[in-house]
Amino acid sequence: MAQKDRAAHKAAGKSMTRFYIILGAVGVIGIGTLAYTLGSSAMSGVVTEPVDLAGIEDMNTLVSMAAGVGQGDPQAPVRILEFSDYQCPWCAKFAFDVKPFLSLNYIETGKVHYVYYDFPLFMGHAHAFLAARAARCAGEQSKYWEYHDELFRQQARWSIATNPTGDFVDYAGSVGVDTGAFEACLKSDRFADVVTANLRLGEQLGVQGPPT
Amino acid sequence: MIEASAAEAGRLTEWSPPLNRMAITLLSLFGILVATYLLLANLGLTGPVVCGVGDCETVQASSYARIAGVPVSAIGLGGYVLLFALALLGLQPAFGFATWVPQLLVAGSTLGILFTGYLTYIEAFVLHAWCQWCVVSAVLITLIFFSSIPELGRMRRPRG
Repeated sequence: MAQKDRAAHKAAGKSMTRFYIILGAVGVIGIGTLAYTLGSSAMSGVVTEPVDLAGIEDMNTLVSMAAGVGQGDPQAPVRILEFSDYQCPWCAKFAFDVKPFLSLNYIETGKVHYVYYDFPLFMGHAHAFLAARAARCAGEQSKYWEYHDELFRQQARWSIATNPTGDFVDYAGSVGVDTGAFEACLKSDRFADVVTANLRLGEQLGVQGPPT
Repeated sequence: MIEASAAEAGRLTEWSPPLNRMAITLLSLFGILVATYLLLANLGLTGPVVCGVGDCETVQASSYARIAGVPVSAIGLGGYVLLFALALLGLQPAFGFATWVPQLLVAGSTLGILFTGYLTYIEAFVLHAWCQWCVVSAVLITLIFFSSIPELGRMRRPRG
């Protein structure tokens, strides 16, 4: 009788062990899934594509919203507007082959006022919009042009990243931007309206593709 | 006295963890996970609720998604945690024969199914929108309710 009891007791213990293993597995998988959901949604607040804008039918409103980033003397007799995309190779080529010459001979000498506008090609350039926002986040800390150069320099690297957010923060650090403030700016919707306005302005002006 | 403790010992060796309590523990754990997910989404910590079927946004954004300011998912989470803890406790030999465990299990699962019934009524007849996760929760609580039926027979201390 006692032996039978012991056997029953043992069987009960065994079934409890199996039950705890199943319970533990469900718990671990469930918590893992929840953590993954939380982690992958870290990108969810980040605006990576054009947003809807109201009131842009008016050209003046659009121009003031677009706020191109200028270089040189605003009173210069010639004004060059460039519509560019950080993910476009030809834009990088322009930035390194033509722009230095332009800067040295025309912008710095007060002959040309150069204004950079974003024209992030959405098709195929998945990170172009975010890159444009990133540059403006750096611009908040007066490092627009340093960041602009760094983005074009590193273009081949971040263009192929699944999520370039980390790369963008690293570049910010390397050009002397406070990464905390930069990251907060990047992971929000800051400048999404401005970059969208840039894009719409380019479209209004008949820009076919960057660099123009 | 000796007789009584012998009877007690006899009962203890007879006792084996009830399967229905295992089922309630496991189902409540699923409920905890679903409710946690919905609560995190409600607090804006995840993206929008992944909703293959139905219209979770409408349901979550409606005025019925909170009761006195408390998100329904938080109430659900609390309920599932209590049911989970109770059923798990009821699986321990020390509490195997406690009458308050079945009493609370029956009360808890009945309250749960009534609350879910109310929420499902709101979804079906007021909002005309379904949230698949709420439906999952409704199925879970229904299964928990049926699993707690054997507890009715354990609510009184057996005579003899």
